Amino acid sequence: MQLIKDVINALADPRLFFLMSVAALFLLIWKREVFASNKVGYWLFGLLTAFLIFGSFDENFQKIIGKPDNVPIVGLIFLLVFFTWFSVREGVLNDRRIAAGKGPIEKEESDRVWVWPDLVYTELICLVLFSVFLIVWSILLEAPLEQPASQSATPNPSKAPWYFLGLQEMLVYFDPWLAGVVLPSLIIVGLIAIPYIDTNEKGNGYYTIAERKAEIVIFMLGFIVLWCSLIVLGTFLRGPNWNFFGPFEYWDTHKLEALINVDLSQYIWMRGFGTGMPDFWLTREIFGILLVLGYVFALPPILARTLFKTYYEKMGPSRYYVSAFLFLMMMSLPIKMLLRWVFNLKYIVSIPEFFFNI
Amino acid sequence: MADKKTVGHAYNIDFLNVVFAASSIFLLLSVFWMVWDDFDRDWKNTQRRFTSLEMQVTNQQLQLATAGVDREQLQLAQQQRAAARQAVAANGAKVDELQDVVDELDARLGLESQDYQFAKATYDVDRYAFEVRRDAGRAGPQEEEAIAAQAANVAELNLAVETTTAEREEAQAAVGKFTAQVGEAQSQIDELLTERRRLMGRITSISPSLVKTLFLDGPMTDFLAPTIKVKQVVLPDIRDDVNFMRVPKMDRCQTCHLAIDTKGYEEYPQPFRTHSNLSAYLGSDSPHPLNEIGCTVCHDGMGQSVDFTLTAHTPQNMEQEHEWEELYDWAPKHDWDYPMLPLGMAEASCVKCHREEAFVPGANVLGDAYATFERAGCYACHKVRGFEGLRKPGPSLTRLKGKLGQQWVADWIREPTAAKPATWMPQIWYNSNSSSPEDAPRNEVEISSVVTYLFENSEEFSVPSPPTPGDITAGRELVENVGCLGCHITTETDRSAAGPRRTFGQPLQGVGAKASYAWIYDWVRNPKHYSPSTFMPDLRLSEKEAADVAAYLTTLGGKATGPVTGNPDPQMVDAVLLDYLKTSMPAATAEAELASLDDHAKQLELGRRAIERYGCFSCHDIKGFENTQPIGVELSEEASKLVTRLDFAFEDIHHTKMEWFEHKLADPRSFDRGRVLEPLDRLRMPDFHLSEHENQLLRTAIMSFQRYIQPPAALPPGGARKEFLTAGRRFVQRRNCVGCHVVEGAGGDYETVVAEASLAPPLLTPEGSRVQPDWLYRFLRSPISIRPWLDVRMPTFGLDDEHWNQAISYFQAIPDAIRPFQTFEPAVASSNTATGEVLFDTLKCQQCHVLGDVPAGQPTANLAPDLRMAWERLNPEWIDDWMRVPLRIVPGTRMPGFWPNLPESDFPEFDGDGEQQIKAIREHIMTFRGGPSPKRSGN
Repeated sequence: MQLIKDVINALADPRLFFLMSVAALFLLIWKREVFASNKVGYWLFGLLTAFLIFGSFDENFQKIIGKPDNVPIVGLIFLLVFFTWFSVREGVLNDRRIAAGKGPIEKEESDRVWVWPDLVYTELICLVLFSVFLIVWSILLEAPLEQPASQSATPNPSKAPWYFLGLQEMLVYFDPWLAGVVLPSLIIVGLIAIPYIDTNEKGNGYYTIAERKAEIVIFMLGFIVLWCSLIVLGTFLRGPNWNFFGPFEYWDTHKLEALINVDLSQYIWMRGFGTGMPDFWLTREIFGILLVLGYVFALPPILARTLFKTYYEKMGPSRYYVSAFLFLMMMSLPIKMLLRWVFNLKYIVSIPEFFFNI
Repeated sequence: MADKKTVGHAYNIDFLNVVFAASSIFLLLSVFWMVWDDFDRDWKNTQRRFTSLEMQVTNQQLQLATAGVDREQLQLAQQQRAAARQAVAANGAKVDELQDVVDELDARLGLESQDYQFAKATYDVDRYAFEVRRDAGRAGPQEEEAIAAQAANVAELNLAVETTTAEREEAQAAVGKFTAQVGEAQSQIDELLTERRRLMGRITSISPSLVKTLFLDGPMTDFLAPTIKVKQVVLPDIRDDVNFMRVPKMDRCQTCHLAIDTKGYEEYPQPFRTHSNLSAYLGSDSPHPLNEIGCTVCHDGMGQSVDFTLTAHTPQNMEQEHEWEELYDWAPKHDWDYPMLPLGMAEASCVKCHREEAFVPGANVLGDAYATFERAGCYACHKVRGFEGLRKPGPSLTRLKGKLGQQWVADWIREPTAAKPATWMPQIWYNSNSSSPEDAPRNEVEISSVVTYLFENSEEFSVPSPPTPGDITAGRELVENVGCLGCHITTETDRSAAGPRRTFGQPLQGVGAKASYAWIYDWVRNPKHYSPSTFMPDLRLSEKEAADVAAYLTTLGGKATGPVTGNPDPQMVDAVLLDYLKTSMPAATAEAELASLDDHAKQLELGRRAIERYGCFSCHDIKGFENTQPIGVELSEEASKLVTRLDFAFEDIHHTKMEWFEHKLADPRSFDRGRVLEPLDRLRMPDFHLSEHENQLLRTAIMSFQRYIQPPAALPPGGARKEFLTAGRRFVQRRNCVGCHVVEGAGGDYETVVAEASLAPPLLTPEGSRVQPDWLYRFLRSPISIRPWLDVRMPTFGLDDEHWNQAISYFQAIPDAIRPFQTFEPAVASSNTATGEVLFDTLKCQQCHVLGDVPAGQPTANLAPDLRMAWERLNPEWIDDWMRVPLRIVPGTRMPGFWPNLPESDFPEFDGDGEQQIKAIREHIMTFRGGPSPKRSGN
């Protein structure tokens, strides 16, 4: 029993957790034919429920899962898994139909709209069931009220609301200016930009995967992996001092981790050249700056001629460069995470004189 | 998508119907569940249980009240009423006739009044209009006449009304002549039955009924006008600090504690028990009425909640904790910073309003707590507001050489309780974090070095050669009877049982092995010779008495000695001293410093650093540490600290402040358990070997050290009297007057060492109203014997005028009778004093009161002070009060109350006027002369 818990605790480590979610995403898309079956759906649901039941016998697990603040996130996991599975399934089914030349199922009987009783009756049933759910929830779970807030007692851990936990997790890897301002703004800008850069008319009003593979993978990567799974990580696996704690681990406020991180400039000057750090910031950070500039300005054109050639030709230069920029910004998060985990890298560019770090 | 059963549907409608039906049933059930959950609250059930209890108790009270009605009087009154009714019935016709007249007059009066009112209203309007017109110059003479006529009319109507009213009253009185008696008898009956009636009314209002159960308090309908509801008291003047505001407290404790301010429920289990001491707390005539003070200001806890666990009730001990865990699923509440104080520690909250009052009368637990706090000397290491400027609790060590030997000192500081089991000196070495085999050599060198330092830094002191040792038995008798036991214990070893007042001075066990006969003799004769700042007073012992006492004390021997001191292992000294040096300088400098010292210098340096580390200088005067800051944490607002500030380390206790304090006081080094620490990083608070009782008292004291939150409106009023009382109470506590005397209900521990209460020093609460202030001043400076049959004697304290005036103002402030000096004219011989003399003989005052000679054949409990002192000692007005009701002034006195029914008297003088008799006796007493006096012979 304890062995299983220890294994799960080890697997829940952010590095493994993140890599496993990325791997799971690619597995999902690659083996989507398998995932599309109802059997797999039931298995997923069953596994999740079994894990929940198995865990609820553990005191620490109970405390985390049972906290009234965290109960909705448990629901979020179920919903996320369900809707991902469902949309993949619908896409696969449609792809099969399209391959057989039939056209997607949504286009069948497009001359009528189901309203009564199909839409309204089911809505009524949902209303009733949802009311039951809310009533039972409000009887069983008490409002999580605590004592009056005190300036001299900061809660530990001090967590953002669940919808910002992804950003709070980013703060581990990025400077607050980037993690809190630049990247979130780019997320919003990116979302706004999607209709303008996504020129693929396929998939309009019907599920599909084969016809929109790149778009779907990018979106799922950005949403499910980089946003939702980090929310789950932040809710259940981050404890006091934003330390990592496995689902069955006791939240010890005194737990210590040796986290000494090194800047790129320190690597280059102190370890690479063996000299001290230069005084002037430009000299000091020139390598990091060049790297970043290269990433942002040099990499898109390079990719346009190599990996993303087809996209470049399809979208045209302006759309391509905008999407490439946004895509590279999105990928900077996992890249930075990997650099941190592998090299203990703190900042690629570190200019404390201007409070600017990347 | 699902299978299509019917053409044109996306779902199988039959299946949907089933789902809909099932979900609707679930909704219905969940609604029922919701209503039930609201109906079945714990507090509602508690109130339901209370209703039946209240019915029971009120019925009992009703029975008692019914039994308590004076049957005879009731019958008499009922007979009177019956007779009166008969009289009315007999004159039935006449009464009816008179009543008709009254009714007719009533009707007439009504009409006439109406006419009058109409006329007057009209007149007022017209008159005003006329005045306006006249002012504008438009009124003519006829109008003036018309107005006057109207006025006359109104006056006439008024006269009619008045006449009719008078007539009516006459007629009513005529009727009343017959019916009044019925009314009188009825009101008498009502008076006899008031209590009964009240209780019956109460029973009616609380009896359960169908309407109440089904409708008023029924599920779902109990939002309209329930009888079972939350009861709360909102206190605008008493505040809760919610960190960004201070809001009026709102206490809902009464929701379950329904009988908290009702007499009659003292024997029932919680939550229905009456509050203890209703006349002091919660009673409507107490200084803390419920609607002005609420509950949580004294008991803390979360007053807004009505759930047992969520209100943060705290169990008193482990048994109660287990009981609550089983019965109520209790667990300490995490999210409330100020949980309830356990029962018995509520007095810690007195200081919320009674600020800076070190000793609050009526709060004896708090008084004991502060007495323990002060005796243990906690304030010496831990700064606490209100306890600054007090003397150091331990004896001065600046003249150590003249009193003690090095071996004894080493044994003493290694383990004080070995020499004196009841000592207040705590254990500094060989505690739970310093008793391992590796620690022992370190401890020994530290002890040895401290001794070296102390003796090196001691002044020379020698005592004159004493007379030959006296008689040990006589000495023992003296020690046990003359009053030493008011501050010292001799053979008792239980410090907790003796209490902080009887251990105010150090325990005398082992003093013989500690100091020489010569030194003890010198000390007992004149304590200030060795220690000018000592609080030990002078007991006016003669040379022989002192020799006897010193001889006896020398027989209180000591225990076996420990390892011989004075030759510490040099390598160990080096190692330990190096550790100390490295805390304040880099390792290389430390080594150099070490090398530059010789052996003796090393020991001195190590001794100095050890004293500095362990804080010996906080309790003792030591040369070289006159200005060193004490080592303890400031405790001024310890009770307001958040629990997150306390380090629980690896100790397995609940994370509450109370448990942390208890654990810390029980073993101050326990939080080092399981940790890896350098020796000089370890905890250093010494262990006082506190008993459970002492632990609880100190926790009460700590919980009283709070941030002041309550606004001025909540505080008791100040004033000169208050200041005298506060200063005086501190004085009598901190000089241990209360070790011997009971003052304002506190102290008097000396009673435990005498055979009966009358052999103990007298009650001092009435002293202010009792004695003349100039006599008291003289007495305090140089006491005399007032009760010659007592062995115990009042010591000479040798204080200054400031202190004596503080004491005198205090005593006078107690009865709020601060008055200047007065001259009382001596009574001239008159017929009054002669009668007084006669009464003096009749009442046999001399049977008990000393008048030159102690009355023979009386047990000591009956004896009373020498009346020859009365003229210059006592206040004449007080003598009168005393003679009237002695028991009110000194409860338990044997002085008889000769006039139980003042102003009536059983004695014939002055035509049985008790007041005059009292005055005459007093005047006679005031003629006595020749008694002992502190004012004569240069005192």
